[in-house]
Amino acid sequence: MTSFKDKIVVITGGNSGIGYTTAASFLEKGAKVLITGRNPGAVQQAVYALGHPAEGFKADQSDLKEVRRLADYIQGRFGTIDSLFINAGFAAVGPADALTEEEYDKIMNTNFKGAFFTIQYILPYIKDGGSITILSALNANAGMPGTSALSASKAALNSLARTLARELAGRRIRVNVVNPGVIETPLLDKAGLTEEARRFIADKTPVGRLGKPADVANLVTFLASENAGFITGAEYNVDGGLFVHPLIAS
Amino acid sequence: MLSLENKIAVVTGGNSGIGYATAKDFIEQGANVIITGRNEAAINNAAATLGPQAEAFTADQSILADTKKLTAFIHERYKQIDILFVNAGITGKIGPFSEVTEENFDEVMNINTKGAFFTIQQFLPLIKDGGTIILLSSVNALSGMPGAIVYNASKAALNAFGRTLSRELVSRRIRVNTVNPGPVKTDILIKAGIPEEVVAGKDFAKSVPVGRSAEASEIAKLVTFLASDNAQFINGAEYNIDGGLFVHPLLG
Repeated sequence: MTSFKDKIVVITGGNSGIGYTTAASFLEKGAKVLITGRNPGAVQQAVYALGHPAEGFKADQSDLKEVRRLADYIQGRFGTIDSLFINAGFAAVGPADALTEEEYDKIMNTNFKGAFFTIQYILPYIKDGGSITILSALNANAGMPGTSALSASKAALNSLARTLARELAGRRIRVNVVNPGVIETPLLDKAGLTEEARRFIADKTPVGRLGKPADVANLVTFLASENAGFITGAEYNVDGGLFVHPLIAS
Repeated sequence: MLSLENKIAVVTGGNSGIGYATAKDFIEQGANVIITGRNEAAINNAAATLGPQAEAFTADQSILADTKKLTAFIHERYKQIDILFVNAGITGKIGPFSEVTEENFDEVMNINTKGAFFTIQQFLPLIKDGGTIILLSSVNALSGMPGAIVYNASKAALNAFGRTLSRELVSRRIRVNTVNPGPVKTDILIKAGIPEEVVAGKDFAKSVPVGRSAEASEIAKLVTFLASDNAQFINGAEYNIDGGLFVHPLLG
């Protein structure tokens, strides 16, 4: 088992779903974890549930003033950190022709612009030899109807990671992307996914089920560990095989 | 708890390089491992070094009859296995397209592609439902490296096997994934006639963002992760482990 003893990890959007479970997984392996979230009550509750040494910071990653405060806080509290997990995201679906500018901005600002400046502002405090892992989605490489802006925001993230992998190589900071398939998270509940829809997704997924946050957390902690020292600029799907195109098979 | 406790794994081409390092890592994680190789002395020697959890079987993975003997041996000895790591491979002779002979072509395709195909086909009845297959490919599968045209194609075909099998083997819950390493410090490059000093670092290092070639043990860690229950939702995936080499810098 890889140890994260004395490692400090920052996770954006860490109070629920994949972010929360990943925080728990890092803590279990000995890391100190700071989670962020928009809702101070939810962040506080998550920190309490995660237990020592989890910490929280209230920040909306799409609000650059708050991102700046977060970066300043990280500097003051930790000096430097080992790993940053960019997880905060927002999903909204609907046909492109009906998408309003407001909806578009919210998706792009949270998923891409927020991630971009979160990395930029925190970068000075990431140790040389540290790592950044970005949570994207299969949508980045697919063409799922109803997810035009969402998919584009994720594709932009994957592009960002590739470029950063080369730009940050001089500081030995590894940058990788994880593209999950459909994962059982509160995001799905918020999207109002029915039981029937869940069954449909499970049937479409070769391994026959939706993913669990732990499936993603296992991969994220692996990528942040010393065992992944030669992995950078990579995009790893964790999707139960969904992304393998069956073409005209069922 | 070790991640491969009580698992039985087969590693083809396990007497050196990535295969050997992976067998070692599997063993450290609690597995029993059967390694195969063409050279009897080398494979026995490797198994002896790996210790009591390792066993050697002499087999050339490009010869179907050898694979048949291997599977018969494993069936008798272990009944079933949990993990198959299809690792055996060669680069073949490096050189331009116009100089590739039929012999060069067949040698690479027979080991890397046809050998892998029938190794998997013959092993399939021995792999437990819920088991896993990992294919060792290369970033060459996705690139256009001059001078390695047959090798590139042989690996691209392997990735296609990985994808298709990930869907075909669903009913048996067998996960199939592919690992694409970049430059690794192994004998395969020396065997391909690339000078040792180049393999040892400097020239490769310049083009790899992390500034070096990989140790075989680093590839092993990813293979072990994919073989473990921590990767239960990973299927049909192709994972590069290349120090960032495959990220195209265009003019950068």
